[in-house]
Amino acid sequence: MSALLQRRPAKAPDGPAAAAPRRRTGKPPAPGKKRNENLAAYGFLAPWFLGLAFITAGPLMASLYFSFTDYSLIGDHNWVGLENYERMLGDSRLHSALRVTFVYVFVSVPLQLALALALAMVLDRGVRGLPLYRSVYYLPSLLGGSVAIAILWRQVFGAEGLINQVLAFFGIQGEGWVSHPDYALGTLIVLNVWTFGAPMVIFLAGLRQIPAMYYEAAAVDGAGPMRRFWNITVPMLTPIIFFNLVLQIINAFQTFTQAFIVSGGTGGPSDSTLFYTLYLYQRGFGAFDMGYASAMAWLLLMIIGGFTAVNFLASKYWVFYGD
Amino acid sequence: MRTHPHSGRPRARRRSPLLSVTAAVGAIVMAATACGGDSGSGDDGVVELRFSWWGADDRHATTQQVIDLFEAENPDIKIVADYTDWAGYWDRLATSTAANDAPDIMTQEERYLREYAERGALLDLGEVSDELDLSKIDPLVAESGNLGDQTYGVATGVNAYAILADPQAFEEAGVEMPDDSTWTWDDYVEIAAEITEATDGEIVGTQSMTYNESGFQIFARQRGENLYNEDGSLGFSQETLEEWFQVTQDLLDNGGQPGASESVEIEAGGPDQSVLSTNKGAMAHFWTNQLGGISASAGRDIELLRYPGETEHERTGMYFKPAMFYAISSGTDHPEEAARFVDFLLNSNEAAELILADRGLPANVDVRAHILNSLPEADARSAVFLSEIEDTIVDGNPPPPIGAGQVVEITKRVSEEMVFGDLTPAEAAERFMSEVEAATGGS
Repeated sequence: MSALLQRRPAKAPDGPAAAAPRRRTGKPPAPGKKRNENLAAYGFLAPWFLGLAFITAGPLMASLYFSFTDYSLIGDHNWVGLENYERMLGDSRLHSALRVTFVYVFVSVPLQLALALALAMVLDRGVRGLPLYRSVYYLPSLLGGSVAIAILWRQVFGAEGLINQVLAFFGIQGEGWVSHPDYALGTLIVLNVWTFGAPMVIFLAGLRQIPAMYYEAAAVDGAGPMRRFWNITVPMLTPIIFFNLVLQIINAFQTFTQAFIVSGGTGGPSDSTLFYTLYLYQRGFGAFDMGYASAMAWLLLMIIGGFTAVNFLASKYWVFYGD
Repeated sequence: MRTHPHSGRPRARRRSPLLSVTAAVGAIVMAATACGGDSGSGDDGVVELRFSWWGADDRHATTQQVIDLFEAENPDIKIVADYTDWAGYWDRLATSTAANDAPDIMTQEERYLREYAERGALLDLGEVSDELDLSKIDPLVAESGNLGDQTYGVATGVNAYAILADPQAFEEAGVEMPDDSTWTWDDYVEIAAEITEATDGEIVGTQSMTYNESGFQIFARQRGENLYNEDGSLGFSQETLEEWFQVTQDLLDNGGQPGASESVEIEAGGPDQSVLSTNKGAMAHFWTNQLGGISASAGRDIELLRYPGETEHERTGMYFKPAMFYAISSGTDHPEEAARFVDFLLNSNEAAELILADRGLPANVDVRAHILNSLPEADARSAVFLSEIEDTIVDGNPPPPIGAGQVVEITKRVSEEMVFGDLTPAEAAERFMSEVEAATGGS
């Protein structure tokens, strides 16, 4: 992929690249107003800082501590050192949870981004009623993580659900998709792909930033639509693709609600939808094994941190910042 | 926070940054204090207590009536209802207990009671014996909530695990109802297959039985074994468990029970979606106190049958089980008031007239006699059934070990892997044993 993306756009006629997306902060504000504005900014940020301090940082540190104990949620706990982390090596359900989560992330995120980009390009051609379409396609992103949609999903993909009724119309006897180990994960991947709205809106904004003159110049030189896509759209959009990729990977790793509801909290059938976070929840709240669950949370943090770091390092080689 | 009306945040106009900071701090402080202020005394000297239970809608409605009745008789106590379905109950109880915010009075279950008691989360009911009279409790279950010399839970009622059968389904299939005093496991497998075959799959013979380890406990007891030993170790041999899984394998092969993914969906739906409730099957395995609810959803008179194989082996396997327990949180500020409420639930005829057999046939023998004639038809039949099998019951079960709560989920997972063909009955048996040992052996 990177080889393709590395291509720079044919240097456009010397137009100033000012219209290209800028990701850096603007010029410093006039000195007189600065103090006041900063104060206001901190004021508005204060709720988040307080939230970070009390709601995130405290539990974060507590979970790091608990990950070295045999904390059981109720009652006392003892320091056990690295035992929780050592136990992970031999925990076959943890390994299967990792497998399920990785498949989910690496299948659903690329599909979701591809769909988001494709639809963004269709909408970018100047469809009438664009705000309406944008809202309609964005809707699933707002709803996708909700309990209601997960319940709906279970109905749609159930043995007597909508999908099978449609299939039955064509004379095909469908499976109970959510209750078969070979397909259950697939239904959740489809659910995630369906929530393409958020990255789509961002892609759409990015597409709007690409100066039309590039396309015009390329068209004059005889470049076809495919060539314009690969040599102008994709390179100019790489910062946006990168942003969406990082965000969606992080999100996908943390998927919980959908799997919890669709499988009734079990990760079944036979662990086929046992997402990492779901297993963590089961250990912590079902098995009173909060020390181990805390250690699992830190492993997940390290995994996500690792992927994000690799993403940022790799971005040097394929993300193009237009100037 | 849920139960507190003042969860709204003050609305700050965007005047100065300072104002917005104060507003934000205020909102957080309010939210934080809103969580903390429960189970205290009100200004007017009324003690507020929280009572938690699991169940379906009908139980919520009758329990609220019981609470209203209690409050009318005890104006100094206010009971706040805290209920969920079974699946969400334990997550919630664990979380609130960890946060030192456990309900003052909670409904417990055999497989979890010791877990909570051992960790100091429950009050020794001996401390409140002035308020809570346990003298009338059926001796069969009187000590079931004990751990050592202490009593941490008191049984709500008595239950037995049995087979529920729909006579109308049998009739439609043209298959005769079995004689449950003599039927064997082979009979069970054969009858189930006959029903499916005779109705062309319209009515399935029986619902899967591997989703609840209670059935296996009977199976093991028939062979002189048990699910757990007194010391909490596994009380059965791998061969026995393998045979148990083989019964299900046979039923899968001969069509006597629904296919794998169908079973998953049926089980996910709970009792309301059982094959009996939806009139799509002839037999299923349930607790006797579920007969009323399932008969109601089915719209038919469902009958109770003894487990197969009761006369096939060296002894019978069926047993009485305390349906649920009432327990009091060790963190409650008002143990005496909490005990008065438990006493009311357990020993008052008025409460029993409302609860009837919903929490098992009442554990208080006087109360049981009092309501016996006013039971609705289905519950009356289960009362008769329980008294009929009482003579055949050999003994009770030792209390399940700590960690037994996890076995619920292990049972489900292992049997799923077997019905989907990923494990043979032998492999499933091996897997079940090692996972249960890991879950219960640790502490």
